[in-house]
Amino acid sequence: MNFAFHRKRISGLLTVVPANERSFIEEMKNFNFPEARSLKLKEVMGYDRRRLVEPGVCVSDLAVFGLQHLFDQALLKPDEIDALLLVTQSPDHFMPPTSNIIQGRLGLKQDVFCLDISQGCAGFVIGLIQGFQLLEQDDIRKVVLINADVLSRKASPKDRNINPLIGDAASITVLERDTQDSVIYAKLKMDGSRAEALIIPAGGMRMPSTSDTAMLEEVGDNNLRAKDHLFMDGAAIFNFVQVEVPPLIEALLAQAGVSKDSVDYFFCHQPNRFMLEKLADKMKIPHGRMPNNVVEHFGNSSGATIPTAITFNLRERLLHENLQVCLAGFGAGLTWSAMLISLGNVNFNTIIEYK
Amino acid sequence: MKCIFKNKRISAVISVVPKEEYRFDDEYPLVKLTADKAKRFKKMMSLDRHRIAPPDVCSSDLCVYGLQRLLSEGTLKKEDIGALVFVSQTPDYFMPPTSNVIHGRLGLGHDVVCLDINQGCTGFLLGLMQAFMLLEISALPKVVLLNGDTCSKQMSQCNRVSYPLTGDAGSVTVIERCEAENPIYMDVKNDGSRHQAIMIPAGAYRNPSTVETLKLHEVEEGIMINDEHIHMDGAAIFNFTMGDVPPQVEDILAFSGDTRDSINHFLFHQPNPFILKQMADKMKISQAKLPNNIVSIIGNCSSVTIPMNMTINCGEQLQRESQRVCFSAFGVGLAWIAAVMTVGPLDVCKVVDYEKA
Amino acid sequence: MDKIKFYEQLAKILDIEEVKGDDVLKDFEAWDSLAVLSVLAMADSTYGASIKADEIRSVVTAAELANLVETKSKK
Repeated sequence: MNFAFHRKRISGLLTVVPANERSFIEEMKNFNFPEARSLKLKEVMGYDRRRLVEPGVCVSDLAVFGLQHLFDQALLKPDEIDALLLVTQSPDHFMPPTSNIIQGRLGLKQDVFCLDISQGCAGFVIGLIQGFQLLEQDDIRKVVLINADVLSRKASPKDRNINPLIGDAASITVLERDTQDSVIYAKLKMDGSRAEALIIPAGGMRMPSTSDTAMLEEVGDNNLRAKDHLFMDGAAIFNFVQVEVPPLIEALLAQAGVSKDSVDYFFCHQPNRFMLEKLADKMKIPHGRMPNNVVEHFGNSSGATIPTAITFNLRERLLHENLQVCLAGFGAGLTWSAMLISLGNVNFNTIIEYK
Repeated sequence: MKCIFKNKRISAVISVVPKEEYRFDDEYPLVKLTADKAKRFKKMMSLDRHRIAPPDVCSSDLCVYGLQRLLSEGTLKKEDIGALVFVSQTPDYFMPPTSNVIHGRLGLGHDVVCLDINQGCTGFLLGLMQAFMLLEISALPKVVLLNGDTCSKQMSQCNRVSYPLTGDAGSVTVIERCEAENPIYMDVKNDGSRHQAIMIPAGAYRNPSTVETLKLHEVEEGIMINDEHIHMDGAAIFNFTMGDVPPQVEDILAFSGDTRDSINHFLFHQPNPFILKQMADKMKISQAKLPNNIVSIIGNCSSVTIPMNMTINCGEQLQRESQRVCFSAFGVGLAWIAAVMTVGPLDVCKVVDYEKA
Repeated sequence: MDKIKFYEQLAKILDIEEVKGDDVLKDFEAWDSLAVLSVLAMADSTYGASIKADEIRSVVTAAELANLVETKSKK
């Protein structure tokens, strides 16, 4: 599906990462692999450090912390928030929606529109699409989009394919109307026939959690994983990204009438460095213009990786400059999405630590 | 938040219930009610029977069945599905989204937008809003809104005040653009500071599922629930329903320029007949215009109670003619949404029993 | 507030003949969450009083309940 949004903009980005950091070198000892092989994996995939929440910390905690920071810094006022969108696959509860919990904890007004969307790696682009749609309503002038996940809890400590790369984070993006005559283009694609390539088999209603689903099972390649844990079919996902994402971005740029060269940066979801380098190569984009450094510093935090890539790599530049950026999110669903947006002159573009 | 949507309409509604029906008179010994208390309870809540899905049937199954009926009966064409919006609090998985899973089961095209929204009681009206917004995209033909919940799986069977009122169901609503302006008035309110009134404490990420969270404990004489069951503060919910909802209904009528006389039906979310009668009395709306029977025959099926209300109480009428309807939904969040719109004539407005493929 | 009428309504909710002011509420067999809900409804519709669950649970006798409803009554 194609989207075009007129007179909308991003006015601020904040990423919240847990202070708790773990290093691959320390964690290597848990895997049933020779050290040399693990080090090779580290080098190829770009694993180094990741940020994880302490036990008991949830998505609403990261979100409330980030929003409170913005209130304290006078970068946002509570009453200005007309819509609160939370995109997550790790909600605090099945019931009530976590966006309501965040609303309650911050004492936001009753007129605020609250929505919980379940999405992961494509969740930033999907959240932006949702936010820009909401801004069409007269009563909605400012949207707060939160992409947050604490999926480290669902990574098997004995699964070398998943565990070293998962990170936890939250991002808060403020969306508002633009006085300038701007157009934002986006594309969204879905393929549920490949849904099982990225899945947590147990925990939902299809297979509720039991003591059986918590048991670690041999899953091949010397890895152990439970049905409660996140499963990713690495090869299928790699192929999916290589095959589907380049044509999507090409089509988006064609729709917008914009050439690859005029795009300053491609901010993609950050599964790992290897996948992004291969993607950049396939699309003939220099690695410098498709940053791939989020996993090595913070880990793969699902929907928050794109805003983390932006806040981490651009920092203060976005306060004064205006850049043409292409965003691309892809993952669970399977879903793949891309957005072309002019990003700049924002009120804030920072990373803070949650303690 | 108030909004008006134009040139949009509901064109079909189908609600799906499990075949398995359980009568209160047979069940009350299982929930440890004495004959006397059962009699009192049955009378107060006008209970009779409810539908409960078997363990292997999920809300997505009920919705897929409804969608397949619409497709096979020619009410909807696959190529007209531009978006699947799945609203539920009982999703198949944490990951991937259930709307994507349904997309795969139906073999739909890559351009179909899939969206999973987590909401309960207000989920039908919230889903309608989402559909109206998506339909601003001219390339998007129709939106299929799926509401489904199997709350019986989240309700303790030893909860004698709540279990008999619970029901499982799914619904499929087709929404499209129309030539006529047909303005739809909506108001959305939220108050998360009172979210503890209806919640499931454990099972997700705040308190993951463990052996402890599955242990039953007594919350009141004879009522045993665990932390993965729905906890309801009946009094807080009553005060919320009587205090916050009527003013919103008055407000929406003023907003749309309607009166109690100009509205043909007040189709409200159905928590139980007792509260609905109280509300009808308080708002001086006749019980004929404000049906309260869904819990008595199906159970409180979360966001599906409103489509159930439409199909069971006004199904034939809505298929024949257009009716002025005031919707009101309230519950989990806490959230409360009201809407006024003209509905019908619909291509389909019926309830069917679920058949496993 | 007409206390006699109140006690009659309360007796009906509790499914008994008569309620007196110094009766202890939790001694009644029918004093459960359903009874509380019925009292809330009665307080609202007859007396225009909006009462919280913990307020009801903090009263011990029927007289204290009547006083609570009277204090909150808007009619």
